Amino acid sequence: MSAPDANAGGGRQQQFEFSIGCVPFQLRMSDARLYRDASLRYAAFTEASSQPIHIALNDHSIAGSQPADFAYDFEGAVLRADSCKIRFDGVRNEYALDSLLRILLSWKLSDRNGFLLHAATVVRNGKAYVFTGRSGAGKSTVASLSPKGSVLTDEISLLRRENGEWRAYGTPFWGEFRAAGSNTSAPVRGIFRLLQAPENRRTSLRPVEMIRTLLPNVLFFSSESEANRRLLEIVGQAAEEMPGYELAFRKDPAFWEVLPA
Amino acid sequence: MTTKPSVSWQKNPALAWREIDDATVIISPTDSVMHELNDTGSFLWKNIDGRRSAAELAGLLAESYEVSPDVALTDTQALLDEMSTRKLVVPIPATGGDLR
Repeated sequence: MSAPDANAGGGRQQQFEFSIGCVPFQLRMSDARLYRDASLRYAAFTEASSQPIHIALNDHSIAGSQPADFAYDFEGAVLRADSCKIRFDGVRNEYALDSLLRILLSWKLSDRNGFLLHAATVVRNGKAYVFTGRSGAGKSTVASLSPKGSVLTDEISLLRRENGEWRAYGTPFWGEFRAAGSNTSAPVRGIFRLLQAPENRRTSLRPVEMIRTLLPNVLFFSSESEANRRLLEIVGQAAEEMPGYELAFRKDPAFWEVLPA
Repeated sequence: MTTKPSVSWQKNPALAWREIDDATVIISPTDSVMHELNDTGSFLWKNIDGRRSAAELAGLLAESYEVSPDVALTDTQALLDEMSTRKLVVPIPATGGDLR
């Protein structure tokens, strides 16, 4: 986190630098309450970078006449991005800020061989086990049944392909808006489609079954054709390259016994 | 809807698609809907190029899958109708321009 900066109109401008999945951001804002909330929520992800993505938060001194490369409106909070700058306007609380960050990150990751997935990720023996499924599938349950400190996220995982290897990163995006997560990563051992059942069982999935599993759980907000082509290419590659399974599990830690070592 | 012999077909240019296993996965960016084509649908999809008519596509299908020309044409027309309903393909008249 960097020190307060010069005044740029309105309140005192402050900036906060952090990184999620090796994507560096710098938030600039004059709202002291939002600054405090962001500092707390993203504390574990604080990291300075020489070339962060600059985000102007509620900065009314910036004119917005230029057409945006990407824009998104989330319940009155608006993200606008062009080649020069990114603006978050109308952000009234940390929930809106968090939502716009997820949207921006999902967009930026498609240029970096990555994507955000509704999934819990647990690290065991140095490998990431990614458990995906819709709300209620058991992501939080799996996370709660895993040793403390081994969970990278219980809600939204970040997956990136780097040097021919898929890695899962911790994110600050946790269920029930808890401030948690660690800014670490691990190579992916497998992706597991969750199914709550009376018995624990693991079944391999073919790539086409994997892409059917992944796509509905990917966070992506662009309706632009080229961006969707990039996303489909990345997710398709993930489906082909990462081992995929269906995990039928009951609510006790014994499910780990059927997972690959 | 029934396809007309004089009409050729092109893929909807707004779509994103990718082959995986023997299937083709298609995303419609405007409504975030995912479509999936089976083996036969994928074969047709690969050969839909904005120039070929249903009859020409059926000829390719008959050749590759060793089915009779009549069966191939019926199947091709049914698949094109289905894809057209889902806005995956767009008919264009032989003289140019599209029929949307």
